[in-house]
Amino acid sequence: MLFAGIDIGSLTAQAVLLEDGNVTLSKSISVKPNPVESARTVMGELLEENKLSWGDIGYCVSTGYGREKIQSEGMAQENVSEISCHGLGALSLVPQVRTVIDIGGQDAKVIRVDAGGELVDFVMNDKCAAGTGRFLEVMCRTLGVALEELGPMSQGARGHMHLSSRCSIYAETEVLHYLQRGVDKASLAAGINRSMAHRVMALVRRVGVEKEVLMSGGVAKNVAVRAELEKMMNVKMVTPRLDPQLIGAFGAALMARKASGAAC
Amino acid sequence: MRHITEQASVIENEYVRGWKGEGRKVVGFACIATPVEVIEAAGLLPYRLTALGNPSTEIADAYLSRFNCGFCRSLLQLGLDGTYDFLDGLIETNGCDHLRGMFENWQYVKPSPFFHYLKVPHITTDDALDYFRVEVRLFKEAVEKHFGVEIKDDDLWRAIENQDEVRERLRKVFAMREGGNPAFTGAETLSILLFSSVVPAEASIELIDRAIEERKDHQPPDFRARLMLCGSASDEVDLISEIEGVGGLIVTDALCYGTRAFWKVEKESDDPVVALADMYLKELLCPRMFDDYPRRRDYVLSAVERAAVDGVIVMHNKFCDVHGVDNVHLRMDLERHGIPVLQLEKEYGAKADFGRIRTRVQAFLEKIGDRRKVGDRA
Amino acid sequence: MKTSAPVGLFDRVSSMLEIIDRLPDDMSDEELEGVLGMLPADVRQSMGAIFAPRVRKTSITFMKMIAGWLLGARRARLEGKKIIIVPFNFPPELIHAFDTMYPITSEILSTLGVMGLEGQGERYWDMAMGLGLPDHMCSSNTIELGSILGSEDFKPNAIISAAPGGCDVNAKIHEFVSHYLDIPQFILEKPVDDSVRGREQYSKYYRKLVADLEDFAGEELTEAKLRRVAEKANECTELCLELWDLHKAVPCPVPNIFSLFTYGVRFAMWGTDEAVGTLQEMVDLSKKRLEEKAYPAEKEVARCVWAYTSYYFDVPNFFNWMEENGFTHLGDGLDFFFPQYVDTSSRDTIIEGMAESAWNMPMTRQVGGESMSVSWMEDVIYACRELGANCAIFCGHHSCKQTWSVASILRTELMKRTGIPMLVLQGDAWIKRMTPMSVVQDEINEFIRNVVTRKRRGRGRGVRTTGEA
Repeated sequence: MLFAGIDIGSLTAQAVLLEDGNVTLSKSISVKPNPVESARTVMGELLEENKLSWGDIGYCVSTGYGREKIQSEGMAQENVSEISCHGLGALSLVPQVRTVIDIGGQDAKVIRVDAGGELVDFVMNDKCAAGTGRFLEVMCRTLGVALEELGPMSQGARGHMHLSSRCSIYAETEVLHYLQRGVDKASLAAGINRSMAHRVMALVRRVGVEKEVLMSGGVAKNVAVRAELEKMMNVKMVTPRLDPQLIGAFGAALMARKASGAAC
Repeated sequence: MRHITEQASVIENEYVRGWKGEGRKVVGFACIATPVEVIEAAGLLPYRLTALGNPSTEIADAYLSRFNCGFCRSLLQLGLDGTYDFLDGLIETNGCDHLRGMFENWQYVKPSPFFHYLKVPHITTDDALDYFRVEVRLFKEAVEKHFGVEIKDDDLWRAIENQDEVRERLRKVFAMREGGNPAFTGAETLSILLFSSVVPAEASIELIDRAIEERKDHQPPDFRARLMLCGSASDEVDLISEIEGVGGLIVTDALCYGTRAFWKVEKESDDPVVALADMYLKELLCPRMFDDYPRRRDYVLSAVERAAVDGVIVMHNKFCDVHGVDNVHLRMDLERHGIPVLQLEKEYGAKADFGRIRTRVQAFLEKIGDRRKVGDRA
Repeated sequence: MKTSAPVGLFDRVSSMLEIIDRLPDDMSDEELEGVLGMLPADVRQSMGAIFAPRVRKTSITFMKMIAGWLLGARRARLEGKKIIIVPFNFPPELIHAFDTMYPITSEILSTLGVMGLEGQGERYWDMAMGLGLPDHMCSSNTIELGSILGSEDFKPNAIISAAPGGCDVNAKIHEFVSHYLDIPQFILEKPVDDSVRGREQYSKYYRKLVADLEDFAGEELTEAKLRRVAEKANECTELCLELWDLHKAVPCPVPNIFSLFTYGVRFAMWGTDEAVGTLQEMVDLSKKRLEEKAYPAEKEVARCVWAYTSYYFDVPNFFNWMEENGFTHLGDGLDFFFPQYVDTSSRDTIIEGMAESAWNMPMTRQVGGESMSVSWMEDVIYACRELGANCAIFCGHHSCKQTWSVASILRTELMKRTGIPMLVLQGDAWIKRMTPMSVVQDEINEFIRNVVTRKRRGRGRGVRTTGEA
């Protein structure tokens, strides 16, 4: 039996199909104008590419934006918060995980789970661009580098420029100002990544850290932000075997299996 | 119940229109520290100011700043844009810094025909009580003078009796929603509360009695968990509906537009002014009272037990310091007692905020464990 | 996973002040370089600005007074005295009158941390945020109190809360700390009542506070003890009034940073010999500058009254930058405590005089009044007129909900009644994350160049020394 998870984020939409507890199939696309369309497209394409149909899905859970509408449109049997899905997804990949730091394109969350995958505590930031992927995008645009270059670039820096402002708008001005003064991009990148880590730490402090810690979401791919966070927490984060962006959808698919009564 | 909900969802309801149509006067107040009996005893209609989630604040923003609470900005907006022109008087109370600013700006731009500042102490020492007793007397005298009436002791006792009747109905509504089969949702209860604070006591008594009768054998809709809601001034019925829409039924509260408005009972003096002053100040369960946190905490703890609450949501409007800080304390103490808590900061009146609130409440419900799944009506 | 507890703000500031305490009474540039070299990079600039040549000797005196105050608290703790946290709007001389108690002012500590520590106050703010406290708290006290709550900082024996009536956020954080640490909280409420009745009520509250503190300390505040501090307080008042008058000269001979020093003295050490000594030096230096017609810039372009607080996270680029560009800082709202002489005839009159001082402390006086806008406006207008200001600036500290709620009324009325324009900024006066100093500078520049100098106000006021406007 196939169990499915659909996770609609702010920038990307993910679909995961599970058979016997492993990620059998997965897909990620850029979001469409509305979440229902995103869900229909991402899962539809995944099914089609694998010569499957919606009818092959035994149980589906939707999460993220528009999860309720996706359910009411009949594409999912249930909707669960992305918080719970991320928690369960991370735990299933690494059973020792107790803290999940998920930094997406436009929101950030820190989740604490217990050994059974139940939520212990959580905190979210989905109002302010600072502390989300959006901050890094803005900074990359200002620096004139691609998002995926930001992490590796800063690792070669000799020092880092300190960005004092927490507000993305002022931080942008600060970076421009440093560029005009001739500060090298590597140092700036290092400063940006550290600044990002600081913002994330502000959230982390709210719920506390318990090992093991896993980072998910798009920003998890930034090696420098990861390294800074590890230094600040004094903890080495575990690396899941799955693309961090898929963890939410994976968790949703696991929820689907759980809800249908199949053995975990 | 439908009539109550409809009337509670408009600022100038039919009762106010009727009252004004008879040539009678309406006096607005903001804070639950205001002894409404003084207003009622003068033959005036006490009207508790609400903003009902009004999201637009363009006029107000020219006076109050973006660092001031959205509820106060929304109130000011309605004060300045003419919505509250039916009021014949305003009673200011120093509920909080934002509210003080709200009143000052309102008076500055559009002075009210009658304006009185009732100064409420932040502490309940004997000196403070003495002071407030004089304040209530001055309040009475100001009303008498401006409206050309004499408020006798009997008038006050009668008003106290009327308001006690209303309070008794509200306590009954609460008992019905705190029970095993909650007879009223949180949204409905808020509507009842709002209604009772803007219509004559007699209308409250009559309509609430009917609602109580209507719901005496009520079976609640499916829900996932029993919640308690504590926090900032919120008259946003839609917000409560959103929270309940995710499956968390609000079975009790410690809200300003909630139990805090009517829980007071004791009257210990023969002098009605003294009785009112003591009752309103001593029982003021509000974080603006800076020496009283343990009592607020104990109130919440006992409500949790009484209403068999599964989890507590403590929320505050952005920039509300009195609740923002108190909630942290409450959260810590509740968790120490093993009670799950969701601490929420929100924008007042921002429907755009509802999505993020639903996500958090849903996650909270998932955390405290489903009792019944939404949509599973088999 | 628990890492070792970070060091608290009090301990770190004390360590810094131990260095200050050992400084000579005056220093050459080379000696100063050597001292600054011992400090973290973050703070070298701030300390360099505080010890700028034109104010160096007085600054050393002031900083040594502050060092004496804080190190005195450490000694007091070792001697078994009770340490009481007080907010800035509570006159500390009452506590100085006790032999067995010692006052620590939370906002002064926060400001010292911001000016003198590596990382400024941010980590302590982050500690407070980590507890779940909202980010619209006031950094002025939340920085120090965050340290108390979240680190191995000194723990006070009790807390006085003098903000009820004047400031909810200040009152709430003090209440929170008292419960969190399980220490007594002594409240001094300001009735929002300007009538005789209101004032009498305040006296009642003040007297009750004195009695409660005596009980807590297990010590009687005798007439002799009270007179000792009251007489010194009167000397401080005399000097403060002189300093106020000196501000009226054109160009202003009082250095910008003396605004901060004035309330540093008021909030920490009023009623002590050290305070008198510091104020005396401030007066002496200002008089000397008056005689020499000394002014840091070629021309005094603007004379600004800051309506409420200043900015503290970048001293060189705020106080010093302003006067180097000809923008005089005539004082801010925290200087508006309008000191008065205390009648020292009897215990009763002294206590009454101290109650009057408390009633007039900044913030209490302006926004603890019945009408915040009226009380505040009266003080700002008075200051502008008396000191010959040609502009006003509202720093717009994000957490000042009361002033923010009536700032628009102040701006309108100030213009209507005096023709003086007011710039409204936005930021966090103690933390640079919200609005960087470069933006603050730009806005001040724009305002002064395009609004103030064009209006050409301020002529014909005060004592002309240069013949220039």
